[in-house]
Amino acid sequence: MLRRIAFSFFSLLVVVAVVMLLVYSLINRNVIFQMDDTWNKKSSNDRLIYEYTQYSRYGYLEYTDYTSYLKNKYEPLYGSDYTKNADFKADKDAVQDENTYTENASVQAFISEYTAKGYEIKYLAPDRSKSGKVKSGGNGYLIAIHERNVLQRLFAYMGNFFRIETTNDVTDPALTERYVRVEHDPYSGLFAVVGSGTTHKYLLYFDGRFPFIHQNWISINLGTSYTRYRGQEITTVINRPTGDQIKTRTQYPAQLGTDEYIESAIDFHSLTYNYNPRTKTEMKQFPDQYTSYTYNFSGLSMLENSFVIGLIATLIAYLFGLPLGILMARHKDGFVDKLGNLYIIFIMSVPALAYIFLFATIGTTLFNLPYKFANAEVKILAYVLPTISLSLPHVGSLMKWMRRYMIDQMNSDYVKFARAEGLSEGEIFSKHISRNAMIYLVHGIPANVLACLVGAIITESVYSVPGVGNLLTRAISGHDNGIIVACTVFYTTLSIIAIILGDLLLAKYDPRISLSDSKGGGR
Amino acid sequence: MSDTRMNDSMLFRFIDSNTIESEKIIAPRYSYWRSVFRVFFRKRINIVLIAIFVLIFLAAFIVPAIAPYEPYENITNALTYNLSPVKAQEYFGGFSLKWVLGTGGMGNSIFYGIMASARTSLILAVICATINMSIGILLGAVWGYSKRFDQVMLVIYNIIANVPYILMISVLVYIIGSGFWPFVFALTVTGWLSIAYFFRTQVLIIRDREYSLASRCLGTPIPRMISRNILPFLTSVTVTLLATELPSYISMEVFLSYIGVGLSADVPSLGRMIQEAQSAFIVYPWEFWPPVIIASAITIILYVVGQNLADASDPRTHM
Repeated sequence: MLRRIAFSFFSLLVVVAVVMLLVYSLINRNVIFQMDDTWNKKSSNDRLIYEYTQYSRYGYLEYTDYTSYLKNKYEPLYGSDYTKNADFKADKDAVQDENTYTENASVQAFISEYTAKGYEIKYLAPDRSKSGKVKSGGNGYLIAIHERNVLQRLFAYMGNFFRIETTNDVTDPALTERYVRVEHDPYSGLFAVVGSGTTHKYLLYFDGRFPFIHQNWISINLGTSYTRYRGQEITTVINRPTGDQIKTRTQYPAQLGTDEYIESAIDFHSLTYNYNPRTKTEMKQFPDQYTSYTYNFSGLSMLENSFVIGLIATLIAYLFGLPLGILMARHKDGFVDKLGNLYIIFIMSVPALAYIFLFATIGTTLFNLPYKFANAEVKILAYVLPTISLSLPHVGSLMKWMRRYMIDQMNSDYVKFARAEGLSEGEIFSKHISRNAMIYLVHGIPANVLACLVGAIITESVYSVPGVGNLLTRAISGHDNGIIVACTVFYTTLSIIAIILGDLLLAKYDPRISLSDSKGGGR
Repeated sequence: MSDTRMNDSMLFRFIDSNTIESEKIIAPRYSYWRSVFRVFFRKRINIVLIAIFVLIFLAAFIVPAIAPYEPYENITNALTYNLSPVKAQEYFGGFSLKWVLGTGGMGNSIFYGIMASARTSLILAVICATINMSIGILLGAVWGYSKRFDQVMLVIYNIIANVPYILMISVLVYIIGSGFWPFVFALTVTGWLSIAYFFRTQVLIIRDREYSLASRCLGTPIPRMISRNILPFLTSVTVTLLATELPSYISMEVFLSYIGVGLSADVPSLGRMIQEAQSAFIVYPWEFWPPVIIASAITIILYVVGQNLADASDPRTHM
């Protein structure tokens, strides 16, 4: 079993490496600027510099420029007012003259330092019009870049995959106390694990929101979105709640115990460390530097939307699909069986797009259900059609396989024996055949549940559900390499976990199956 | 010896070798494929379905050949946009087959559109099925037979099988571009693997049956074993698989073009027609339902006929 898991994660690594290799080497990297307004507004050298900073942000290369080199040089000498220093100004302006810039000592130092580090030095000469005046955005730049290869990117990505918060996360020298301890949590009334020096203040806490216990200790970093959610982290995007803010009567941390109450949607469990010194009002509101927060929202996040719809659909599918399959097998070639087969053929052969639209038409015209998710007046009704559309094909496929396996089992010796013993047909079907037929279907249960996290591409796009199902397709149309790699990792990990869990469940359900690494087992 | 001794002419008599009797064969005549089709056509529904399919097939190839589909022919004339079948007939003056299903959002002919798109889908399905099935069957047969090859292929299979199919195709289309042939490439580059794996399992089951063992003892070479002992046994399985594979490529094309990662805009496609008309599917139903219905009709017929052919190709039904 351990070997299996190790192999699975090895294959995950291979898949991610291949996708990264293809995406980062075959796709022209400048597609990320296709819908970028900032890029459109900039021109000349400024645009080139913007491109390099974006490339470095998205990990294509390591980039540094002469100005930040000067900042590092002069800031320790002259403090935060270093820009007013005459030496700094002289050094900075040196690059604005393409004929003499190499004579400057700082420029020479910059070039020799970064050449030694293996960087490529690029000098962008000032972009001048015919009269010799510098065009807008055409200032001269001296930069050093270092292209990263795909292997380096892969290791960097894998290295940053899990982020565990420690008390050394905050690099602010002003912070004196560093600890992690259990405290009374005034916002839930229960206890919470609170950290100082960690990025989040509350590491483990309870609240009234599903799943009621939350943690900020370990987070998964799937990477950054390039174009769709420019620069935002993908895990944040898919977990961010939607809807309206919920205002409650609450208190700022420093005002607890007083009678200063506020009507606000601030989620005080989301406090994170803020490096900017507190303002006067913040001094009154917060006892420490943990002053950044997010709000409470009424709606679900993208991931929750997809998961709720998917999970209910899967439940419906198993609740209806299995009994219907058993019923069809019991009345083989009867009316129920024929009707069921007709449904199965329809679901199996017709493109998913066609029957989802058919269900949508029936649902909206006959039952007056809301069609587009956002237009629903009663929020809960918006979930009805997507859930049903998602479960009906699933019911069909479960019916098909349950019937098939039931019929295969019906002629087994143990069934004949049970009949000879005088058991009733109902008993034979429910207690003997169906349990044996279920063996084949048990393996797929974790896969079906985990697939809910991936979302349903067509269903969500037909009903405009704000879910994760369209993350990949939207990323592809928007050339968002970050999301594409993240989706590959996310989907592949889920499918690997699903297969492993399926094996475990199968071994649990059927004692004849063993997953030990000894001879004969394992596979 | 006595004179009662009999000579050969008394014991035997010559008979004419050309008698009609010698032409009679005791065992009934059996031809595998003839029996398959006898059983297949015993079901009347198959004849009906095949007739409909031939009609769609011919229309999908003849109509675009005679009158090419030009989606942008009326783009400059906004009056032709979104005309219902009746209004389109009126606008273009009298009955014509071209406007029998009305016009789309750019004044394009819906009827010509679905015919050209159906042709794309059919060609795509046949090409992909041919490539995937032939590579899959041949490699699967070798895979099941050679133990060393099995070890290598299992590792490759276990890696690739972990990746969701949709993800793989979408990413491939994104990387190599979205024309007709890149799309075929995306569908076939790993599509054969699951078919090969399926056949590997089937071959493993048959490989060690008694008649195969006997054959091996007689020193039959492996290629002959595969082609004579194993593949004929898999005819029924192959047809069953083909019956699910062919419509699956059409569904896949519709699905992928719908979500925007399928065929490029210059290739007529059922999926994109549906996608373009979906926002107005209540207001302009004649733009939306024809491509849906034609896609469903093709896939249903291929599926049902395929399943029935698969049933018929099982020799046990020939009694």
